Amino acid sequence: MNAEFHFKLQQFYYREARMLDERRYQDWTALLSEQVQYLMPSRYVAQRDSALRGQQAFLDEQCELQSENSDCLPLRDENWLILKLRADRACHQHSWADNPPARTRRHISNIEWLESCDGQHQILSNFLLYFSRYERDNTLYSGQRRDILQESGDGFVIVRREVRLDWNCITGPTVGLFF
Amino acid sequence: MIDLAQCVSRDGSQVYRRVFRDQAVYELEREYIFGRNWLYLCHESQLANPGDYVRAYMCDTPIIVSRGDDGNIHAMVNSCSHRGLPVCRSDSGNAKRFVCPYHNWSYRSDGSLAAIPQDRKLGSESCKSALGLKKVPRVASYEGLIFGCFDERVESLDDYLGDMKFYLDSLFRRFDAGIEVVGQPLKWSLSANWKLPVENQLGDVAHGPFLHNSLLGGTDSVKEIDDYGLNCVPRPGHGAAVRLMPEDSDDSARAWGLEGIAALSGNAEYREYLLERQAMAEECIGKVGARIKGLTYGVYPNLSLLWSNSTLRVSHPRGPGEIDYWSWWLLPKDAPEGIRKLLRSNFTLMFGPGGLLEQEDGEAWSQQYNGVNISYMDDSPLHYGLGQGSEGPHPELPGQIGSCYSEHYARAFYQRWRQDIENGLRRAGA
Repeated sequence: MNAEFHFKLQQFYYREARMLDERRYQDWTALLSEQVQYLMPSRYVAQRDSALRGQQAFLDEQCELQSENSDCLPLRDENWLILKLRADRACHQHSWADNPPARTRRHISNIEWLESCDGQHQILSNFLLYFSRYERDNTLYSGQRRDILQESGDGFVIVRREVRLDWNCITGPTVGLFF
Repeated sequence: MIDLAQCVSRDGSQVYRRVFRDQAVYELEREYIFGRNWLYLCHESQLANPGDYVRAYMCDTPIIVSRGDDGNIHAMVNSCSHRGLPVCRSDSGNAKRFVCPYHNWSYRSDGSLAAIPQDRKLGSESCKSALGLKKVPRVASYEGLIFGCFDERVESLDDYLGDMKFYLDSLFRRFDAGIEVVGQPLKWSLSANWKLPVENQLGDVAHGPFLHNSLLGGTDSVKEIDDYGLNCVPRPGHGAAVRLMPEDSDDSARAWGLEGIAALSGNAEYREYLLERQAMAEECIGKVGARIKGLTYGVYPNLSLLWSNSTLRVSHPRGPGEIDYWSWWLLPKDAPEGIRKLLRSNFTLMFGPGGLLEQEDGEAWSQQYNGVNISYMDDSPLHYGLGQGSEGPHPELPGQIGSCYSEHYARAFYQRWRQDIENGLRRAGA
């Protein structure tokens, strides 16, 4: 990871965020690998394992996530076709959750490289997504994205994105957005 | 004092807007609807072993549901007898004791008080048997669905469900291995009155092709609903919207789960498993039961079920204008590992806080809450008169049956609602 790579990564995420804020969902789907997995675990308040008390593992976050395994119920576990369906629907006159559309502003920060292998990079980032609709329906979404990006031409395509929202009970109008 | 004639007309066809927003109406509901009826708590599969527990709500009362060492299911209020703190702080788990963090009073999984540490310091002995967690006096289950009731005198759960059992059976007894709840529920809040999601899933088939036009408009499933859809009211307050498939229809037209996004995947194992289950359905639930292809169900007052999307949900009120909505994933117990995720996509793509359909429903319910807050409209009730008088008995199905576009399911619900409050006030001597 050097400064040039970090700059490229940062510019990719900023452009992606602006694209989504500008409601250019079709353009956004071009940033996805056709094998993309878009996963959004749900969270719950797990009982802590008293056998682990005094250890770092006592605070483990993983046990609070309902993720992709078949004994869990995540919020979303989607492939390219489903993401495309969501992107297409936004322009539909009768998509009443999107018409009139919301005003959104995505703030991407804490971009962190974890590791690279065969042209694929594991990258973390945080987001704040400000969501405003109608007169005063305003919500702030906060969470982390855990991405696998594949190098492609001058930029990247998204092979996997795990979106970890910080909520247990979802207090925003929908988590069907592109985070 | 609330004038009930200014809430719901006798025939249920007019529902005044204050019913959805008035704090005083909500207080009556808490007392006489949620305080007197059976409320859904959780599924037996979530409490497989002694010590297993989940947190739940009955209206806005926090509840612990647990399996005791005696193997029985117990439900009690999650509040310490000493200073009132919650003694269970996780959503689910397994525990020998529920311990209050404040002074360490500890309770057994049947709610009885096990120890007061301060007694030792004082050399005293408090009367522990009188200081257990407050119990929910009635707990009963039907086909794994566990309900509780605050009213000791409530009729049996069996009688309460009545002919709704026929419709529940058509899903819950369809699979010889039974049904289980998998994972944790999804939870989200809505700025809406608790009754809107409830009446939507009692039988509001009519909104489908319109509110959900961009997904459902002009599809074969709408045609199938037009042809075979019925609204069934086995008992006022309960409801089942179903398709009663014709006698000459084949298994692929009737099978549970063979519609929706997962069926489009073309996965052979998926199709084969569901067709095998359907082939056995007649043996489990009879000829008519096996022809039922459900849409949505409601058990009075606030339990709902989405058939094809395999989810149970409860609309928990948080005052007149807020809901905490909880939604669990249901699955036949013997569903093979290879297709569980596919079955899950029928739920999470369409429903839950990220669901394509759910976000439109949630939008409609919260918009309705704006509409009922217009005081100038207090003399203008909402119209629930569609199809009035068109329902009646059916040669094959129990209850009052009508077109799936008739609103008799909602009229019956609001009549029951009014009756419950009238009865409650009468008993209270008001």
